Amino acid sequence: MRNAVQTHRTTAAQFVIVLALAGIAYASGDVRKDLHFKVGKRPMITIDNPYGAVVVRAGAAHEVIVTAILHSDKVEVDQSQSHNRIEIISHLLSGADANTGAVQYEVLVPADTNLTVHSDNGRVHAEKLNGDLSLDGSNAAMEVVDCGGGHVHVKTLNGPVSLVNLHDGHIEVMSMGGDVVLNGVSGPLVNINSNSGKILYTGDFAGDGEYDFTSHTGDIEAIAPAYASIDVFARSNQGRVDSDFSLEPKHSSIYTRGGSALVGTMGKAASAVKLVSFSGKIHLKKRQN
Amino acid sequence: MNCGEFERVLPEFLEGSHTPEQQSHFESCSACANLLADLELISSEARLLLASDEPRPAVWDALESRLRDEGLIRLPQFVTSKESVSRRWRAAWLVPVAAALAIVAGVKLFHPAGAGDPAPIAKQHVSNPTVAAVKPVSHEDQVLLNTVAARVPAQRARYRADLDSANSFIQDAEQSIKDDPNDIYTQQMLINAYAQKQMLYDLAVDRSEQ
Repeated sequence: MRNAVQTHRTTAAQFVIVLALAGIAYASGDVRKDLHFKVGKRPMITIDNPYGAVVVRAGAAHEVIVTAILHSDKVEVDQSQSHNRIEIISHLLSGADANTGAVQYEVLVPADTNLTVHSDNGRVHAEKLNGDLSLDGSNAAMEVVDCGGGHVHVKTLNGPVSLVNLHDGHIEVMSMGGDVVLNGVSGPLVNINSNSGKILYTGDFAGDGEYDFTSHTGDIEAIAPAYASIDVFARSNQGRVDSDFSLEPKHSSIYTRGGSALVGTMGKAASAVKLVSFSGKIHLKKRQN
Repeated sequence: MNCGEFERVLPEFLEGSHTPEQQSHFESCSACANLLADLELISSEARLLLASDEPRPAVWDALESRLRDEGLIRLPQFVTSKESVSRRWRAAWLVPVAAALAIVAGVKLFHPAGAGDPAPIAKQHVSNPTVAAVKPVSHEDQVLLNTVAARVPAQRARYRADLDSANSFIQDAEQSIKDDPNDIYTQQMLINAYAQKQMLYDLAVDRSEQ
């Protein structure tokens, strides 16, 4: 009897909370839109959302579930599906701005989805996907977490980029002013091209891969364990190059002349690591643990 | 000569160049003579239309202002679906420009300035990479900035700063290649610098197509 009363109270409380949230959403002008699509293997999904966050996570196979929260009637969500290809576009209406034109997306997709997302200033988050990812934006923060196996292409002007736990991928990031942070990233190819943004890498340079980090004025910092197996070339035309490691010297090439270059190997030199900057500082750090 | 053959040479005949055979057909065929008279009348009326008074610019300004007041036309702010096609074509010029940037990067790579010079290699270039506060922009960059400014003025300032950064990177890399034409890492740096500039153009095109 007591349990039954408790259950009823809990249910009533949940009902009130749902009503309250619905009321808040209604009062604030938010509109929720739910979309469902059936897809086959390796679907292609494109989301274009100028303002607002786009969060994409792996869900059930053969199904795409989109939840969109529209912040005003100045924006509409256009959708189209052609076989295995889906396009979701936030369509700004006349008078829309960064506030009234904002749409928040929560999207569940099959893990093997090939995903393309564009956002000007909202957060873009992709998680647990193994298809090809292409993310671009102006100021949007880009986050790719626990992905692998596919190509990851990120382009940003000034938004920060965070790549965490990516394996076996072809990873290419280009940034003008946004910092690029890589944590536990490995693959046959990891290519980071930055202008003034910093490049911060923490990992073991695994995968017998090529790791090319280039910047104009941004600093480059790589933190690796003592057991890392790497062939290192590091040079800054005008900045300092420091290393915590005692590298095995390589055959002296023309590029080692001058005080701002570093060439050498560690272990079996399985991966090639190139850290090149015009005027940024470069630091190859030893992981402390 | 028959009427069909005469019609094919009508344009030249109107301009006054004709053969005796054409002249003979014109004089003997009333249908072709009437057709020619009609064409000459239309031509002369068209010249009169061209000479008619064009309303002064102030008239157009007043008309535009009136239509805007009545809400019949609006200043473009955000692109609607109806405008998207024309906006897309207006921005289409940026695509070949972006492609040209990639080509220039390739040319620079395979024909670096000063290639083959006996100058010492691995000389470190020393220049100030700091972006100058006010720098002239190229015509292409200016058009890009205007395209961006048509959306939100604040974006123009940001693109301008990013363009300056990309151009500064290109300039520094080019100078370094002059100092050391055989430096493959600087060559790659130059390619990366051009790739950054291409990204700016690409993103501007994408945004313009919305």
